[in-house]
Amino acid sequence: MNGTAGQTVLLPEAPSLSKLYLNAAATAARRRISGTRPAAALPGARHELRDVTADVEKLTAFQHLLGESAGDFLPAGFIHALAFPVAMSVLNRDDFPLPLLGMIHLENRVEQHRPVHFSEALDIAAWVENLRGHRAGTLVDLVADVRSKDGGLLWTGVSSYLAKGFFLPGTDTNSVQTNRADAPFSPPDPTALWTLGVDTGRNYAGVSGDFNPIHLSVLSAKALGLKRSIAHGMYLASRALAEVGPVRSDAFSWEVAFEAPVFLPARVAVEISTARDGSGSWLRSDFTGWNPRSGRRHFRGVVATLE
Amino acid sequence: MPSAAQSPGVRKAVVIGGNRIPFARSGGAYTKSSNQDMLTAALDGLIARFGLQGERIGEVAAGAVLKHSRDFNLTREAVLGSALSAETPSYDLQQACATGLETVLGLANKIKLGQIDSAVAGGVDSASDAPIAVSEGLREVLLDLNRAKTLPARLKILARLRPKDIAPDAPGTGEPRTGLSMGEHQALTTAQWKITREAQDELAYASHRNLAAAYERGFFDDLLTPYRGLSRDSNLRADTSLEKLASLKPVFGKSLGAAATMTAGNSTPLTDGAATVLLGSEEWADERGLPKLATVVDGEAAAVDFVHGKDGLLMAPAFAVPRLLARNGLTLGDIDFFEIHEAFAGTVLSTLAAWEDEDFGRDRLGLSGAFGAVDRGKLNVNGSSLAAGHPFAATGGRIVASLAKMLHERGTVDGRPARGLVSICAAGGQGVVAILEAYPSAEGEQV
Repeated sequence: MNGTAGQTVLLPEAPSLSKLYLNAAATAARRRISGTRPAAALPGARHELRDVTADVEKLTAFQHLLGESAGDFLPAGFIHALAFPVAMSVLNRDDFPLPLLGMIHLENRVEQHRPVHFSEALDIAAWVENLRGHRAGTLVDLVADVRSKDGGLLWTGVSSYLAKGFFLPGTDTNSVQTNRADAPFSPPDPTALWTLGVDTGRNYAGVSGDFNPIHLSVLSAKALGLKRSIAHGMYLASRALAEVGPVRSDAFSWEVAFEAPVFLPARVAVEISTARDGSGSWLRSDFTGWNPRSGRRHFRGVVATLE
Repeated sequence: MPSAAQSPGVRKAVVIGGNRIPFARSGGAYTKSSNQDMLTAALDGLIARFGLQGERIGEVAAGAVLKHSRDFNLTREAVLGSALSAETPSYDLQQACATGLETVLGLANKIKLGQIDSAVAGGVDSASDAPIAVSEGLREVLLDLNRAKTLPARLKILARLRPKDIAPDAPGTGEPRTGLSMGEHQALTTAQWKITREAQDELAYASHRNLAAAYERGFFDDLLTPYRGLSRDSNLRADTSLEKLASLKPVFGKSLGAAATMTAGNSTPLTDGAATVLLGSEEWADERGLPKLATVVDGEAAAVDFVHGKDGLLMAPAFAVPRLLARNGLTLGDIDFFEIHEAFAGTVLSTLAAWEDEDFGRDRLGLSGAFGAVDRGKLNVNGSSLAAGHPFAATGGRIVASLAKMLHERGTVDGRPARGLVSICAAGGQGVVAILEAYPSAEGEQV
């Protein structure tokens, strides 16, 4: 239990992600200097931002970068980008126990319930839940939901982050079974080959607003302990979703698990396979991306009908 | 000679409906949208309207006049990005401003011959997102550089570059053989046919008034899908007046001195947009319970020798229409709706003047006298390009879908199906024209 349970923090405007990242760096330094041990509990507060509408020019740029048809409805990954600053503001709270910088995005699950027109005003809420141990650190789920003005749920996203090497008292390090690495991966025949330039991270930062330094340049990534900059997980997942294409139903789920990071520049081999029911209606499309030279898997996921 | 539509063994091709996105003045709402974006948006609206999700269409043909070389498969890419079955074949077509109408005619012919049962015709153009080529000098250097094998050879090639080579080569509407822009060409024709400024402004005024009235009574409700916040053509000025149009300064033909009559008001602006038309056989439409608005009866292309001034650049339809009507045993008096594309008001009025001219009829058309007069009350009754704008390859689809709906609404005239004529002029001295008839046809009603 904690003192913020049920509290709703209404944000006056979309938080600036660059300020959030700066503040996160300052918080990390402060905690290091003061040696503060954070509490082993999550803040119960919900952060909300109301009446959000998409910037149509950003929408078009996002659609062009990810290979979506530039229609009037928001790609599910674009909604993720709209909700991202609200979600990040929760991780940036002083009472959030894990260090924001350096957290690893392990899994993401989105449910989109109907197409969302770009002119629609949206209410976005985000919170954290499900703090749990992992053999490599501590896991937490960052949840965002996006509703129409009549309260109808349009979109929910659950992003699972790992604070690697960070163990909190009271969380059981064995509580999460990690069977991801159990089955050895043997690459299938690819259906596509993505060539990702060194500017891939900067380009996606430009359309999504996620200027996390690990994606921007070799130098900024090195400052955070990586050998080179890496592609945004949500870039890879959004591109896979775009390549699944308009075959998907109006309501769908979209899940991805990130494994080996994609260091830029890179070539990523991709396989997308589609399953249909007996009458030919689309059921699901599974996607996998891997390094065509090493055969290491970067990500795998599925887009499936919610109808 | 029997027309194609009358030949035994040839079935009907019907217009089922159409969908376009509102046309936007260049630099407006669609500035960042590519040709593929807009064509896909128009196509997806058509698919939604007629329930074609996942459907394998016989063939989709469309095109763009201003097209980047990377868009070589523009139509196929739009289909792949749409909700149609990925197994729908597609091709690109380019015949300047006649592109859209030519896709309708080509696909209708395939339906008539039984090669396909359904088709989507269309076109798109963006003047905002126009492709820009590198200069000829830079292009040659880049190609030679690619072929060079050694560093010294590469450096020698690079040394050929001059500052002027860096300037890009933007597309224009100039005719390659004359160096004159389309507007300058039309200014010559407008002067030749002694078309007055007042007559041009009146045509432009009528176009805005008619288009505004059509929007007001909901005519476009099932012909249009909003896109990027637009739900009407952004060039439409419902409140324009003859006084406002008269106050504009001439922009073309200024070297003609006092004879300069063409303004931004009586010429079409550069525009972005896309339009599509759904065609099918009667059986295909019936099986799906889809409407049959009109039949595509016949079409004709013509070209004129404009290079040395024998005829005006945009006068080809003045020749195509008499040939088409003669082949179908019709005269101008048998047409209930004239859809003459308003590239410029002067184009429409020069064409009408030529048809009313005794000498032109006798000397150029080989008739005994003037070809005839168009009843102005039947001309562009729901507005045309001067008001809606003119994204080059999209205009044919706009006109065919609107005309098919007008014919359907009219039904029969004197016991025969209502009849419409489409006339579109194009760069290069070309023109494509077509006849559509309301469905059901007279024979259809007797069954």
